[in-house]
Order: sequence, then structure tokens, then C-alpha cells
Amino acid sequence: MNPWEKRAVPAFHLGLLLVAALVLIPFVWIIAAAFKSQISLLLGEVFFTPTLASFREVLFSRSTEFMSNTFNSLVVAAGSTLVILVAATLGGYAIERLGTPRWAVHTMLGWAVVFHMVPPITLVAAWFPLYREIGLDNTYLGLVLAHVAVHLPMALWLMTNFVRDVPIELEEAARIDGCSTPFLIWRIVVPLVAPGLAATAILMFIFSWNEFAVALNLTAKQTATIPVAIAKFAQGYEIKYGEMAATAALSLVPALAFLLFGQRYIVKGLTAGAVK
Amino acid sequence: MTAQGIQIDRKWRAIALTPAAVIFVAMSLLPVLNLMAMSVHEIKWVASHSVWSYVGFTHYRRLAEDELLQAGIGNTAIFAVVGVTIQVVLGFFLAWAVSRIRSGRTLYRTIFILPILVPGILIGAVWKLMLNFDFGLVNGAIGLLGLHPVDWLGTRAWALPSVILVDIWHWTPFCFLLLLAGFESLPQDVQEAARIDGADTWTELRYVLIPMMMPVIVVTFLFRFVTSLKVFDEIYLLTGGGPGSATEVLSYTIYRTFFTQDRMGYGSAMSIAVLFGISLLIVGSLAASRRYGARA
Amino acid sequence: MSQGPNRREMLVGAGAAVSALAWTPGARAQAARRAPFTIVINNSPWFDGFRGAVEAYEKESGNKVNLDVNPFGGSLEKQRASVRARDGQFDLLIMNGLYYQEMYHGGFLTPINDIDPAFRLDPQMIRYDNTVYWNAAAKSHDPSGKLMSVPVNGNIPLLLYRADLYEEHKLKVPETWDQLLENAKKLHNPPRIYGIVQRGARGAPNDVSYDWWPYLYSHGGSLFRDEPKGDYTITINSPQAKEALDFYIRMAKEAGHPQTGGLAQAQIIQNLATGRAAHAMLVIAAWSQLDDPTKSAVVGKLNAARVPGSANGKPAPVLGHWLAGIPKNVPRPRQEAALAFLNWFQTRDAQLKYMAAGAPPVRQDVLSDAGLMREPKNRWMGAMAQSSEFVKLMWSVPEGAQIGDVLELRLNQAVIGELTTTRALNAIAEESHTIMERAGYRTGKIAAL
Repeated sequence: MNPWEKRAVPAFHLGLLLVAALVLIPFVWIIAAAFKSQISLLLGEVFFTPTLASFREVLFSRSTEFMSNTFNSLVVAAGSTLVILVAATLGGYAIERLGTPRWAVHTMLGWAVVFHMVPPITLVAAWFPLYREIGLDNTYLGLVLAHVAVHLPMALWLMTNFVRDVPIELEEAARIDGCSTPFLIWRIVVPLVAPGLAATAILMFIFSWNEFAVALNLTAKQTATIPVAIAKFAQGYEIKYGEMAATAALSLVPALAFLLFGQRYIVKGLTAGAVK
Repeated sequence: MTAQGIQIDRKWRAIALTPAAVIFVAMSLLPVLNLMAMSVHEIKWVASHSVWSYVGFTHYRRLAEDELLQAGIGNTAIFAVVGVTIQVVLGFFLAWAVSRIRSGRTLYRTIFILPILVPGILIGAVWKLMLNFDFGLVNGAIGLLGLHPVDWLGTRAWALPSVILVDIWHWTPFCFLLLLAGFESLPQDVQEAARIDGADTWTELRYVLIPMMMPVIVVTFLFRFVTSLKVFDEIYLLTGGGPGSATEVLSYTIYRTFFTQDRMGYGSAMSIAVLFGISLLIVGSLAASRRYGARA
Repeated sequence: MSQGPNRREMLVGAGAAVSALAWTPGARAQAARRAPFTIVINNSPWFDGFRGAVEAYEKESGNKVNLDVNPFGGSLEKQRASVRARDGQFDLLIMNGLYYQEMYHGGFLTPINDIDPAFRLDPQMIRYDNTVYWNAAAKSHDPSGKLMSVPVNGNIPLLLYRADLYEEHKLKVPETWDQLLENAKKLHNPPRIYGIVQRGARGAPNDVSYDWWPYLYSHGGSLFRDEPKGDYTITINSPQAKEALDFYIRMAKEAGHPQTGGLAQAQIIQNLATGRAAHAMLVIAAWSQLDDPTKSAVVGKLNAARVPGSANGKPAPVLGHWLAGIPKNVPRPRQEAALAFLNWFQTRDAQLKYMAAGAPPVRQDVLSDAGLMREPKNRWMGAMAQSSEFVKLMWSVPEGAQIGDVLELRLNQAVIGELTTTRALNAIAEESHTIMERAGYRTGKIAAL
């Protein structure tokens, strides 16, 4: 660090604190809004008497589905994450280490890239009529498969990268010892890529938890996820700002939990592949 | 390796590739073929059955004169190029600043990750309230500075910039994270050498750090660019494409055509065209990067 | 069975069952156990009232009702998906007056008397331009056709105004648009208070067109030349329509909210609730929250009037009503359960509960009940009663959803100044004509503006 930079450290901190404040203010504001009465929120009151009315409405009222939305989000996120991990780990390993022909690799990765770029809504338009035909709309399976299809490309990309980092010597040694491929994958590759697997898992879980466009169109009441519920409060025909703020505040919980307990993996997952 | 070993490998290669391949065929190939079929038909509902009538490429021809689609393409391009550029620049300087300090790195990183993890729809909801003309925090704040309130989402001039601003708030942290990892992986000796040569901060940035970071910057830009072409959630809540067509984006146009207006044939043609356009974009940029790579 | 009912009791029981099956108006719903069924409905200002009615029904009948509540924008899509599937998931569709046609034309609904031939729509229930009936052969709302639905909400716009300010400024309730503009200008004091707030936003699905339509009709304009007679010539770019649109925009400029183009119904309610609007045209369903101290800063200060007309045209409050229909593709027991609910819903008793829970009723005798009208919290009822003879539909073709999307975009563009009114109306005419032509209607165009 040069002398100028040493002197500038307080300035760096000042700037970073400012940005941190900008990042945090909306969160603080929405949580405060969740404790306001609707008219207090509409009048933009800074000082207000906190009320739990919005939370009560979201959690306990007759028309609320927050609990079932949460359950649905958990089922779909967990289900799609599980399927993705299996498909991506096996696929990544086959691409990296099982001598998959180049054309197959290129097809697969090319597909991954294209489908990563395409707006999910185009895919939804394609799934929707098919789902209705075979009765997959408004089912967990339908949404899980859709989320798998949307997010698998990125997972495949990540897992291929992680598998590449597994020392090939270990595998060769194991082969010479007569290990079968499944044994090799399960006992050598998986343990070695475990941190990468965890990173992918957390990311896929969060992506699925957050996904809106697909869930909006492929679910109904029984399977609607939290983002769909949030959107319901924000329509042009009725003000439900209090409930919207309360739902938003509640839906922050998993993100905060992951941030506290899995930050290392999140960083690893988000930055893998970008930085070699 | 023995002949038997290769055989086992082949078998397991097929097995290992199967899940991903099945998903590929079932969830993208078949639906896209179906989409193609729909795109050359007009689909109506009579006596609770769907009736398909073949219309050839009529839908595709109509795409060319669809003003809303053009607005969607234009806005999406502006949204992606302007938004992502600002995000990468801001993210770069934030990452640089964090890489220069010793204490508090983890704290900043923790705070900055937060927006990445929350649902886009929630970001839309929060900012819809924050940008509200009458009671939003933003107008409250500029009111304190003695400025007139602005209807951020309701006026033509401000709507797209406001949506871009929200996107910047949402995704600059992601750029920051990638670029910080880039800074952390830079070899220390090069920077020290530059310093011993007496380079000041700006020279170092310009001639050492930025060139060395270029690959990471490019990857960050591309990654964000791709995801911002898909923007839907924030628009859905913030503006619904309005006012007028000021914030109409591709995903939203398709959504309204296919689902709200129930024009499945035409909506399918739109989807296929977007799919095709994006594939072209990829092929084009791959070819360009190959040429660039060959020259470098 | 020595302790069983004696013969006389059995006969009484049988009689009760028979009378329950006969659907006599006022029949008590608790007479029969029904399968649980699902109502699909949207989240709009009268939803709380509907929820209240459903809760009352569940309590009285012991039957289970599921409510699937959707955003307005998503409700139609959900209903479409359900009725087009082999097995529908919704047993009672709450359909908007702007898209129920799609369900009628598409043949997705069961005529109510196919479920129970004895069912009769109570004579007191409002027919809303006979939109509850459907003659499939003639494609018309002909009372001799089949009963397809039961009304659940009779939304029409009323002019809400600040009675306290009217008193203070000694203003008279406007009868014409010019008088409204006059009054709005007198109370216009931005940014503290706007003379009028208009729904100028590009809605999902309908904001600006619904707000503007009363201006259009009362200026003598229309979308089609003569829809009841099957003449679908597009007349939306007539000089009368232009006059109506110019006036609408002038109102916004001279006495309106500076961001009219961004105001959807939610923002109208918000401006009224926070005391920033002196006037607004709004469906009465939003009324209850404006008199609720936890949601409004103007409790007791608003009053309602019939929407104005032009100097030489009648006022034209536009129907934005809601009908409940039963789809074909659900099992018979669930259809019967849904119908049992409707039968309860049309009783006077149920409608009183519906109203008490915050929704405007759909029975004439409740809506014009002198005792209810005298209650201060129901001070909107007079305006509603005065409106009923003028009520008009926007359109009754199933292409309405698609035309509505065109209208929303183009009218909004005119409001925000992205297009001139001439260009906007010509564009609507051009695009609606294409839609109607493609759908095979007898249509045509008039000379462009």
C-alpha cells in the first residue's frame, strides 16, 4: 500500500459505509413499514405507533396462505436442488472425466448457455400448454422440473468446474486399485467436491426460492410459492401495502440465515468460474 | 486400461449423462418443438376444445411491425447495456476500495451480499413503496433537500432510469463480489513491483490493475448482461411495462401476449424469435471473442 | 332402531329435504351437507366483503369453501388454465364483466339449470343488462337463453367528492363534465390536494379505459357502431370520441394529478384515503376502507354521486360487474355444492351480511332499502340507485380482453403525451379492427381522424 492509500483509508471506509447504508436502508424501511398501520404508511409518517396488524393479517387471517406458500417454497426449492445436484454432479463428472465426446460436450454446454440466456418466460410459454395436457400444471413435480430446467445449466457449469479441480492422480490411483466408476464418484469425487457441492446447493436453493416468472404461471393456490404471494399484494386494483411489507419482511428470513451460516459457500458458488 | 474397464466407463458415462440429457430433451427440446408448432397456428377455443388452424409464417411476419415488441427490444437493450455497465464500474471501485483496506472486509462483504439473496419480486415490492410519489422514502429525502417530488415510476422520462436504478441497487453487489474475488486472486508481487517503480495509485489502476482484471471484468459483464436480458420480476411489480411503453421489456411483452392476451400462436412466434435472436447473439459473440483471442 | 324417528318426523324430514332440493328462494342452506368446493376470485376492494359472506355461509351450512385469491391481473389466466384442463380445479369462477364473455363463448360453463332444473334466479337479483343469460345460438344476452351465472358484484363508477370541502366552498354536486371540471379547479391546490385524480395508468388489465369510458359514451362515442345489432364497425376514432379524450386529458392538465398517467386504482384509493383528492371516479367497492380509521384520513368526509354526463348526453356509468359461473369440467357434487352456495348467496339475509362485511349488495331490495340508506355509513346508496337506469356495458365480445390491452396502452400513451389523441384513437381503431377482422366479425372502419 502506498503512502497515499494509507492516508486514504478513512476515506475508503467512509465511502464504503455510505454504500453499505444505501444497501441497508430499503431493508430497514420495509421492516419498519411492516409495523405501520396502512394509513400511517400511506401518509409517510416517520414516527408511528407500531402495530402487528399486518403480520396478523399475513400469518393468521382467513384468506392468508403464507404458511402454505412457505411450505410450497420449501418443497420446491429442496426438490429442485436435489435433482439438480444429482444431474449436475454426474453430468459434470461425465463431461470432465469419462471421455465424453467433444460434440456431446459442446451440445450440452451450448444448450446450457442458450437456456441460461433465454428469458424463462419463453420456456414457460412452452411448458404451460404441455403441462396442461399431461396434468402437470399446479403440481410440485411440475414446478420442480421447471426450476431444474431453468437452473441446471448454471449448476452444470459450476460442477464441471469443481470436478476439474479434483486431482486426476487420485482417480488414477483408485482405478488401478480396481475401483468401479460409481464407487469412484461416490467415495472420491463427491467428498472432494463437497464444498463446491454445498455452494451449488445453496445457490440453487436460493434461486428456486426467489424464482417468480415460472412460479407465477405454473402454480395455483395449492402450490403457489412466496414470490407469487408477494406479487398478490402489489396489484393495481387494491392497496395491501401493509401486508406486502410484512410478507416481504418475513420472506427475508432464509436469505439472512444463509448469509449468517453459509456465506463462505455463497461466495464460492457465485465467484466460481468467473475467477480462475 | 483393460478392455473391460473401457466398457464399464462407457456404460457409466451413459448413465451419468442420462439425468441431464433427459431434462434437456423433456424440458427444453420437446417444449420448444411444441412452441414451434404453435407458432405457425392460430389457436382458438370452441366448445371447450382447442382448434388449431394453420397460418404459415403470418405470425412471424407480424413480429416485424409489432411496435410493442420493438419497444421491448429497445428498452431491454438499454436496460442491459446501461445498467450493467454502471454496475460493473461501481462494483469495480467498491471491490478495489475493499481490497485496499484491512479491517471490516467481512462486514462489508456480508452487507453487500444481502440484495443478491432476496427475491427479485421482493426488491420490486420494496422499491415500489420507496419510490411512491406521495409517501415514498425517496421523495421524502429529496423533499428535505428542497427539491420537488418526482413520480419516479409514472413519468415517461423517469420510469426506465428508475427501473435501471433499482437494478443497479440489486446487482452491483454481485459485480462487487466477483471483482473482489478477482482482486484477491491477483498475484501480489506484480503490484509490489509497480509500487517499487514509484507508480501512484492512478497509474497502478490504469496500467496494472485494470489490465490484469480484464478477464474477470469481461466475465462479470457478460454474466450480468445475460441475466439482465431476462428481467421480469422487477418490471412486473414496479411499472408493468408502463407508462405507455416506457419500460416494456422483452419478457413482459411475451408474458402479456401469451398469457394476458391469450394469443398463444403469436406469443409462441415471439418466443421462438427471441430464442433464435439470442442464439445468434451467442454465436456472434463467440466468434468475436475467438477472433479477439487469436489476435491477442 | 327402536329409538329411531317416528313416521311423522320422517315425513317432516323428507319434506325439508324436498324443499331444500326445490331451491325455493330463501331456502336455508344448512339443510344439506355439500362437498367442499373452490371459488376462484381476485383481490379487489370488495373481496373482504365476499370473504365475510363466505365465512357466514360456512358457519350456517357447515360446508367447507376454499377461496383461491389471485391478483386481478392473474385471475383470468388462472381461470382459463382451469377450464381448459381435462379436470378443472375451480368450481365457481368469479368472472369480471370484461372477460366473462370468453367463458360463455368458449362453452366452458355449465348452464345452471343443467345442474338443478329447479334453480331460479331470485327476482330481486339484479340482472346487469341480462349478462347472466346466454343464448348460445344467437350469441346474445337474451333472457330467453340459459341462465349461466349469478351476479356477485355490481361495480359501477360513482363520483366520490369531498363533502366537507363542498360545504366549505358552497359547491353544488356536478351534473355535467364541465361542472365537474369547474368544481375540481376550485378545489385544486397542488400538491396538497388535487382537484380530481383519474385512473390514467396502463392497467393490468383495465385502468384508463374503464375510467375514460363514461366520458366516451356520454359524448356520443363508442367502440363499435352497433354491437347489439351485430355491427362491429370500429367507431372509436370518431370526432365525438376525440372530444371525450381531449376533455379527459384537459381535466388532468387543469385540475388533475400531475402524474395521471401513472395512477392505477390503488393510487386513486391512496390519494382519496390520504386526503389528496377532491374528486375521483371510483367503484363503490372501495368505499368501506375509506371510512375505516386505520386505513383512511378522511373518515366521514367523502360522499358519492352519480357520474356526470356531457351537456347534451346522458351520464353513462360503465359496468365493471362480476358474475359467478360454474365450469363444466368439475365433478357434479362440487357443482352442486357451488350452486348451493349461490342459492344461499342470493337470499336477502345473505346479501345483508355481504353488505355488512363491506361489499355492495346485488339485490335490488337490499340496495334500495330505505332503512339502510338512512345510515350515514351507507350514504353512497342513493347515488348507486340513481345510476342504475343509465348503466352500460363496455362491450360483450370475448375479444374484449385483447382489445382492452390495446386500449390501455394507447389511451395511456395519449394521457402521458406520448401520442396525440388523434394518433392514439386512430391506432386503437386500426388495431381493434385487425383483431375483429381476424376473429371473423362483420366489422369495418370509419374515416381516420
